[in-house]
Amino acid sequence: MLRNLGFRTLRSSPQALMPLRATQRFYHDKVLDHYNNPRNVGKLDAKSQKVGTGLVGAPACGDVMRLQIEVDDKGVISDVKFKTFGCGSAIASSSYMTELVRGMSLEEAGKIKNTTIAKELSLPPVKLHCSMLAEDAIKSAIKDYRSKNPTLGPDAAKGAGAAATAA
Amino acid sequence: MIRSRLLQGRAVARIISSRGLSTQQYHEVADECLESILAAYEALSEKVPEVEVELSQGVLSLELPHLGAYVINKQPPNKQIWLASPVSGPKRFDYVDEKWVYARDKSTLGAILKSETLQAVNQELGLDLE
Repeated sequence: MLRNLGFRTLRSSPQALMPLRATQRFYHDKVLDHYNNPRNVGKLDAKSQKVGTGLVGAPACGDVMRLQIEVDDKGVISDVKFKTFGCGSAIASSSYMTELVRGMSLEEAGKIKNTTIAKELSLPPVKLHCSMLAEDAIKSAIKDYRSKNPTLGPDAAKGAGAAATAA
Repeated sequence: MIRSRLLQGRAVARIISSRGLSTQQYHEVADECLESILAAYEALSEKVPEVEVELSQGVLSLELPHLGAYVINKQPPNKQIWLASPVSGPKRFDYVDEKWVYARDKSTLGAILKSETLQAVNQELGLDLE
């Protein structure tokens, strides 16, 4: 539902259509691929103890990104969903981020840098901010998960086994 | 008369940060900032022809030899200036105490540009901006 809303808005606005037409000339193929076939779009239960939600960006700026992670009892990201309202690069950055973090520990995922995403998607300078938004989103989701599970502490990933036993 | 109005303007600017700026004040200080950056790089490009700079509709595009393409743009909805640097990546600056400051590490737009320019062309950038 949310996904449809976002995509319909993008397509129905004439201003948003212009970058779409320009994509064939300006966007890298990888951005187009993620834009046309976004991975892991959707929503997890934000109220669940196992789910961390990151919501970043500002509607006024035209980019809002929601990224959610589900963490198993070993401290590994077992499921991940996103929903982004924004430009093609922002959608591609978050889509690629979901592919990247699945199966990672929280510690590994928290170390992902915007430059990794920008490089993979060959983002031009002006679009580096989109990859930064994706980095902010995963960090915010991890922070939310940790605030829900304070017993895991900031070193949850390192001591995941011990923490899980303790819990 | 004009001088005292200018001084008043400065006093006002000193106590307000980005969030307290009116839209009009934001555009004034942001335009002034981009124009001073433009002027500094135009002056530099006379010594180093590989430096290319252009300012159009609140977006400044800059090309530094060995480093690559920079984009510095106004972001009016949150009264910020955004920088995309091929060296230090993307940053968003708020106007605080007459400086454009990156909230996360307190670095300033002027200092970043001066340091990366020195790295690129081994010349000081004559930029009167912290």
